[in-house]
Amino acid sequence: MLKLFAKRQPAQRLADLKKLSLFVDLSRREMKIVDGFMHERNYLENEIVFDEGDEGQAIYFILAGRVLICPQGQPQAPIATLERGNFFGELALLDDAPRVAQARAAQDCTLAVFFRGDFLELMQSHALIASKIAFQLARHLGARLRASVRREQAQ
Amino acid sequence: MRRERYQSGPLVWLSIVAATSLLLFLFQKILWLVVPFLLALIGYYLLYPVQQRLVLAGTSRDAAAALVSGGAFAVGGGGMLLAFPWISAHLVAWQDVAARYIAGGLRFIAETLAWAESNSSFAAKAHLSDQLTQHINALGEHLAGTYLTDAALTAAAWFPSLLLAPFLAFFFLRDGWRFKMFLIRAVPNAFFERTLYLVDQVDRTARLYFQGLIKLTVLDALCLACGLWLIGVSAPLTLGLLTAVLAWVPYVGSILGCLLVVLVAATDFPGDPAVAYAAIGLFIWVRLLDDFFFMPMTIGRSLKLHPLLTVVMIFVGGAVAGVAGLMLVLPLLGIAMVLGETVGEIVTDTRLRARHTFGQELRQRQATRDLQA
Repeated sequence: MLKLFAKRQPAQRLADLKKLSLFVDLSRREMKIVDGFMHERNYLENEIVFDEGDEGQAIYFILAGRVLICPQGQPQAPIATLERGNFFGELALLDDAPRVAQARAAQDCTLAVFFRGDFLELMQSHALIASKIAFQLARHLGARLRASVRREQAQ
Repeated sequence: MRRERYQSGPLVWLSIVAATSLLLFLFQKILWLVVPFLLALIGYYLLYPVQQRLVLAGTSRDAAAALVSGGAFAVGGGGMLLAFPWISAHLVAWQDVAARYIAGGLRFIAETLAWAESNSSFAAKAHLSDQLTQHINALGEHLAGTYLTDAALTAAAWFPSLLLAPFLAFFFLRDGWRFKMFLIRAVPNAFFERTLYLVDQVDRTARLYFQGLIKLTVLDALCLACGLWLIGVSAPLTLGLLTAVLAWVPYVGSILGCLLVVLVAATDFPGDPAVAYAAIGLFIWVRLLDDFFFMPMTIGRSLKLHPLLTVVMIFVGGAVAGVAGLMLVLPLLGIAMVLGETVGEIVTDTRLRARHTFGQELRQRQATRDLQA
């Protein structure tokens, strides 16, 4: 019966996750611990992952397929199209502020989901792993901020 | 476009109270399973931090669960095996000690009533000390024949089901996270994030409650033990621990604990009722400390219940399921509250339901695509 609880493809998912910038500092052992917290979800093309204004509870990693980030109900005016190896909804790791845009599957996709509650638990039980993720998250947000400033200056 | 924060209405709260009462009613029917389950949960939350340490040190979750559970089995089982010859050797002596303490306690109550009758005409008219003496004599005649036999039979009947507790604790440690993932996998995409939050809240509530209960027991036991040691009562640590564990049952447990302390104090110092009164005073002081200081610091933080609702639900628990209800009502209410509020939030969210319907339509279309062609 315990096979019912087992995950399907942990080795492949582990390899995919390890390539993500957020987990670049983690060792294989640390990555396995983080992988233990991951949920895997499948979305069909056009299915909504989350809405603008939803309370953010989790960060999503794209394992397969493409995801569209757009203003609520305007998939024809996308803010970004993300592919395998990207992640989105990362601000939800920091607080439960409302999502700033809608995310919907641009094609059938598989996502790994990391819940904020698990991240907080990781901070308590595995502070080193959590700090490595938090550091990479800060670098990622810093890079986005710089890019945004550069875009504004160019305009 | 932030949505309005959901506030549970009276219907949701009524459902929460009704569900808690129904669960209590059902649980008292399968108490043989609920009690080991609860003990296993306490064991799980006690051992979980140790397991986490081992995982951090590089051990896999399964191996860490096996190591921690094996260690706990070895300590518990080994302790019982080592203690068994000693317990058998002292059993008869303990029986005498128990009888001596019961006699001492009853003598103390009879003396107190006699003193009250000699000082108050109202108490004298009630003839309480005579009635008590009659009851004591009747109890003494039946104690060995009826009550002790019943107690021994009950203990023997409970023993096999209590053996379940360590096994359940091991499986909670080893497969608890897999079970959580398994449950969440069954949730539709539209409700996924909200359900993750719900499961996390239930887990957090239960963990904080049981860890709070353990902390509260340790604090209570230490305070009582220190006080009893200062008064000069024998075996202060054992008494403190016993009364702290008895306090897991609201009201009834506290009264039993107080009686136990008074029995010991009155027997240790038969000619000095002041010691027994000091023990009662100490007990009341620790209870107050517990209610106003320790409880909000430990358990209170986990449940965030309104004090009036807490008291009312304790009475409801007692009425529906007796002593078991008194013990179970607060953790059950805490969990029913989180579940009820979240289910209420999901059910009343039109957007989530619309997203779910849309997702189902997409799946239906994908499943029937070749059929339509």
